[in-house]
Amino acid sequence: MRRETQNVLLVLLGGAILKIAINGQYLRYVKPSLQPWLILGGLVTVALATIGIVRDIRAGSGSQDAGAVDAAHDHDHGSRSPWLLLLPVLAIFLVAPPALGADKVARSGDRPAISQPGSSGIRYQELPAGEVPLLTMSETVTRAIWDESGTLNGRQIRLVGFVVRMPDGSMSLARLVIGCCAADAQPVRVRIDGDSLRGYPDDTWLEVRGEVVPGSATEAEAFVPRFTVASAHEVPAPEDPYES
Amino acid sequence: MTDTAAATGGTPAETGQRPRRRITSLEVFCAVMVVALFFGGPLSRLLDRPGLRTGSTVFVAVCVQALPFLVLGVVLSGLIAAFVPPSLMRRLLPGNQVAAVPVAGLAGLALPGCECASVPVSRRLMQQGVPPAAALTFLLAAPAVNPVVLAATAVAFPGEPRMVLARFLGSLGTAVGMGWLWARFGRLEWIAERARRLSQPRDGVSRWQVFTETARHDLADAGGFLVLGALTSAVLNVLVPASVFTSLSGQLVVGIVVMAVLAVVLALCSEADAFVVASLAVPRTAQLAFLVVGPAIDVKLFALQSGTFGRRFAVRFGPATFVVATACAALVGWVVLS
Repeated sequence: MRRETQNVLLVLLGGAILKIAINGQYLRYVKPSLQPWLILGGLVTVALATIGIVRDIRAGSGSQDAGAVDAAHDHDHGSRSPWLLLLPVLAIFLVAPPALGADKVARSGDRPAISQPGSSGIRYQELPAGEVPLLTMSETVTRAIWDESGTLNGRQIRLVGFVVRMPDGSMSLARLVIGCCAADAQPVRVRIDGDSLRGYPDDTWLEVRGEVVPGSATEAEAFVPRFTVASAHEVPAPEDPYES
Repeated sequence: MTDTAAATGGTPAETGQRPRRRITSLEVFCAVMVVALFFGGPLSRLLDRPGLRTGSTVFVAVCVQALPFLVLGVVLSGLIAAFVPPSLMRRLLPGNQVAAVPVAGLAGLALPGCECASVPVSRRLMQQGVPPAAALTFLLAAPAVNPVVLAATAVAFPGEPRMVLARFLGSLGTAVGMGWLWARFGRLEWIAERARRLSQPRDGVSRWQVFTETARHDLADAGGFLVLGALTSAVLNVLVPASVFTSLSGQLVVGIVVMAVLAVVLALCSEADAFVVASLAVPRTAQLAFLVVGPAIDVKLFALQSGTFGRRFAVRFGPATFVVATACAALVGWVVLS
């Protein structure tokens, strides 16, 4: 591949990264704290390619100079691997893949849902005061599994998540937790009994009110708690779709 | 040269003749962009299936996540090329290869980043006269034993400092072990010529120019292979059935081997893998195998290594790393975790 083509590709790649880092689309793929690094990485990529282009233009028809640049640095020719850089560029600009959702959760099947290994001695704080506190899915599931003081029992809570039809036909409300990027996404979910969510298609974002069924997050249930829904309404997808 | 020129065997720029009219990569590129512009809509509708969507999200995620670290790696590589003369390298490292290997392993503590950063850096070290055994030890150690990764491991396994110790020992053991193996059995000709050519001081080329050109070239080159690795890992991420994870509880030997293989195919970032593995109901030593093997060798790294050091190198180094890392994890797990 020619130097010129390489440089154009690098400008596009850096530009694509900058674009999603600035318009917030990056949150579909990586955790929020990576944003400054994406901006820096994108800028450096564009800068390196631009310097290369400017140098080529300056050297211009004076092929003497261009030859010197070429000979001085490993021969760029013969390497076809930079072509592959087109794939992420096209994927970002044309396809803009959505955040992971129901398909990922259904695919993960009955994998145990929560990562914290049991330190069952921990005392959990009382739930925040107020009528119906909004909890994250991870916190709810963690409490349902490990909290022996029963802070969830008999309390109505609110949860935000998306609808998933599991392969066995049951319904769940789920979130995905990421540590670094979407490749390491882990589902956390509550099982919804009854037909309260049947009307919603997969990947619909809902805020639900209800109660965790005490003692339902057993090993036999793959540590997925059951949740009784009192009411549910649609909400827009949060800007950062993942929990961390 | 361009693809078509390579096919006809001509390198007109070198002979100075006026080339025949041929299609350059720039024109191919423009054609691809035009096609993409007009058929982008139908194309993305074609991809609009649940499994493909998940796969493409993972693919873009791996690329996006890895790019800043790759940029860090090529910038470091460019800085080394421009500002660290080979003579300084030789003075810093013990002259004896066998002694240089552990030093290089501990030097890995100093590069806090994902594995993508360490590949271009270690090639640059090699070109600056660092013995290959030491450069390869650094390649394996840097992504695994740095403070960021160890801290992430401590957070993922609360109340289990021995897991952190085991990871540190297992990864360092893998890196040093591979370094010594290379010093004893490695052959220089396995490494592609372009990677072991020592950099020569050049007249009339400024350091700034060396830095920018080295970094730019490494980025275009390694970036392509990174994309290949991301593609492979995205496909496998979707295809590996979840039941693999649930069927392993209580099986030590099978668990270790399966987790080691999974570490290779899933190609997770070394800062995140501890969180994933902590949730799996498998023996501790099998979890350790995942954490030790992953940063040392996975599909993404294999693609990067074969692009950087050549295929002949990668097909020998990759499997050897896998065996050594699995063995180290099993040994350390047996000593430290039981």
